Amino acid sequence: MMKAATFQWLILLAMTAVAVGLSQASLSDNAILAPVLLTTLVKGRIVIDRFMALQGAIAPWRWIVLGWLVVVVGLIGFAFHMAQT
Amino acid sequence: MKYKSQAVAKPYFIAAIGLFLGQIVFGLIMGLQYVVGDFLFPAIPFNVARMVHTNLLIVWLLFGFMGAAYYLIPEESERELHSPKLALAMFWIFLVAGAATILGYLLVPYASLAKWTGNDLLATMGREFLEQPLPTKIGIVVVALAMLYNLSMTVLRGRKTTINLVMLIGLWGLAIFFLFSFYNPGNLVKDKYYWWWVVHLWVEGVWELIMGAMLAFVLIKVTGVDREVIEKWLYVIIAMALISGLIGTGHHYYWIGAPEYWQWWGSVFSALEPIPFFMMTVFAFNMVNRRRREHPNKAAVLWALGTGVMAFLGAGVWGFLHTLAPVNFYTHGSQITAAHGHMAFYGAYAMVVMTMISYTMPLMRGRAANSRISQVVEMWSFWLMTVAMVFITLFLTAAGILQIWLQRIAAEPMSFMAAQEQVSLFYWMREVSGLIFLVGLVLYIASFFIKGKSEAATA
Amino acid sequence: MWFFILAELLVFGVFFLAYAFARTRNVELFNASQLELDQLSGAINTVLLISSSYFVVRAVDQIRHDRSRSCAYWLIAAMTCGGTFLALKLVEFGAKIEAGISMSTNTFFMFYLGLGFFHFMHVVLGMVILGAVTLKAWKGGYSATSYGGVETGAAYWHMVDLVWIILFPLIYVLH
Repeated sequence: MMKAATFQWLILLAMTAVAVGLSQASLSDNAILAPVLLTTLVKGRIVIDRFMALQGAIAPWRWIVLGWLVVVVGLIGFAFHMAQT
Repeated sequence: MKYKSQAVAKPYFIAAIGLFLGQIVFGLIMGLQYVVGDFLFPAIPFNVARMVHTNLLIVWLLFGFMGAAYYLIPEESERELHSPKLALAMFWIFLVAGAATILGYLLVPYASLAKWTGNDLLATMGREFLEQPLPTKIGIVVVALAMLYNLSMTVLRGRKTTINLVMLIGLWGLAIFFLFSFYNPGNLVKDKYYWWWVVHLWVEGVWELIMGAMLAFVLIKVTGVDREVIEKWLYVIIAMALISGLIGTGHHYYWIGAPEYWQWWGSVFSALEPIPFFMMTVFAFNMVNRRRREHPNKAAVLWALGTGVMAFLGAGVWGFLHTLAPVNFYTHGSQITAAHGHMAFYGAYAMVVMTMISYTMPLMRGRAANSRISQVVEMWSFWLMTVAMVFITLFLTAAGILQIWLQRIAAEPMSFMAAQEQVSLFYWMREVSGLIFLVGLVLYIASFFIKGKSEAATA
Repeated sequence: MWFFILAELLVFGVFFLAYAFARTRNVELFNASQLELDQLSGAINTVLLISSSYFVVRAVDQIRHDRSRSCAYWLIAAMTCGGTFLALKLVEFGAKIEAGISMSTNTFFMFYLGLGFFHFMHVVLGMVILGAVTLKAWKGGYSATSYGGVETGAAYWHMVDLVWIILFPLIYVLH
């Protein structure tokens, strides 16, 4: 079980590196938006489901927290997308 | 009543109800002055009527809180009050000081009152709700400190429960934040800061602790639900109230010269302020639904439920209505504020005091509950006052929306008085609702004198 | 505790969205101001918080196996990361203040400093909670059958991490 946690930790670190790398590589604003938000979404899900161990927890809690993540990240994406056009 | 000394609450409650009646009478006078400008002029000008209306509100609520504390703390601590004599002495001091202050407002021009009471030594007068002359303010501090000494000694030597600790912290906070009223800086922005630190931190901070403790106390008694459950709710409610309420002070900083970022902080945090009130509603209904006993005092249960609902509507919903900075840009200082003020004060604080009175008064008069007929009258008064208050709020809201439109948004904005003229119909309807409220209050007072057959030998 | 976590998430969520939508009206200003941030320090801080969260997961696992001491060690490791996070953050804020930047400079810095400070205070609170849990674990106050306190403290700490996971790309990376 702890092996899985270690693996998840490494994924989190890798995703952070990807996000920073993307922002350093002088890509256009549009190009980095989707991948960076995607890494954020994945990272958030790992923390919620694995670290907080909400996967398999009593129903409402997990969905509320995951729902929060999706709504917040989604609306951020929407706002940034709007700002570009 | 478990402890003899709890009886000191009785005079406090009686005084509270008496002053409440006075508040409503002056409210009606002022309500009429909105539409008949020279009514009772020059004997009672509008500004004096307003000052008496608001000051009586504060004083009677303080009487109510103190009475509630003197009743609740000994019972929760499981011992007699440290000094019932001191509590009674403070009652008379506070009553005389309060009455003298109100008479001062009514009989003497405010400027002369200021001169005679040493306002030039330490200028504290002239600010809304904090108009009291210096000696009265000092009197309030003395009375509060004596009460806190008395109650703290009782708790220290007795059982410590969440309820009595929350109540005590609330009362300490009340006394401490009142100290800001002694500082009246010449700088208008600073002045507003200190003023809000009394007014806001009272009603949207420590008073919520007092209210939560009182409600929890009555709910334990009338529902018989486990203390652990109720205390857990109380914890969460007061934590939410403090988190949202303290930074929520920012919603008063929008236009007073404070930095602009307060528009964000004030908006976000005050948008959360309805949450604790919503939880209080859920809390009250939840506990009553899970009740383990049928308490004979039905009226007290009704008041407790009503407090939850009306506090949420008045403080939560009507507060949220105009708390966001972009909305408040148009609504501040309009009749919307008045609508919110009326329903929030009634729904949260007036009703929680009446909940407490309704539960304790029969006990202090030697019975578990009043006779059926007396309770029926009390419940009628509940509905009359509450429905009347709902209508007062709705009419003021309508007046407020129209006022904002005519005065602040329309292509050719009207002057203040011209806009007031246009909304006078709503003021008339508000005044009629106010009369119905008065009828409710008179019935409420009458319910104390109705004997009827006592059928509450059980419980 | 879960109720508080949800309330906290709600507050942060509202602030994040306020930032995102306030930006739509001021894109140039936000982008220009963002360039003044120390992205490296932000990235290191992300690594620190993610790692501390992982250490907390290990600590919870240890107490499930009734190993109080090593639970405490993992918690200390997590708090070391947390402490370093706070120190870096202070350096970052210090540099901004020295540069004459405050919450009133512009809307971007209002959010950067305001949100950063608000999150900072949550890290401090999280450290206090973890500290209390560590102390109790060290004294053998938890066991394989009773470790609710460790789980609660862990949940709060993960929340602080989760918030930062969104805050970092939002304020430091996306432009």
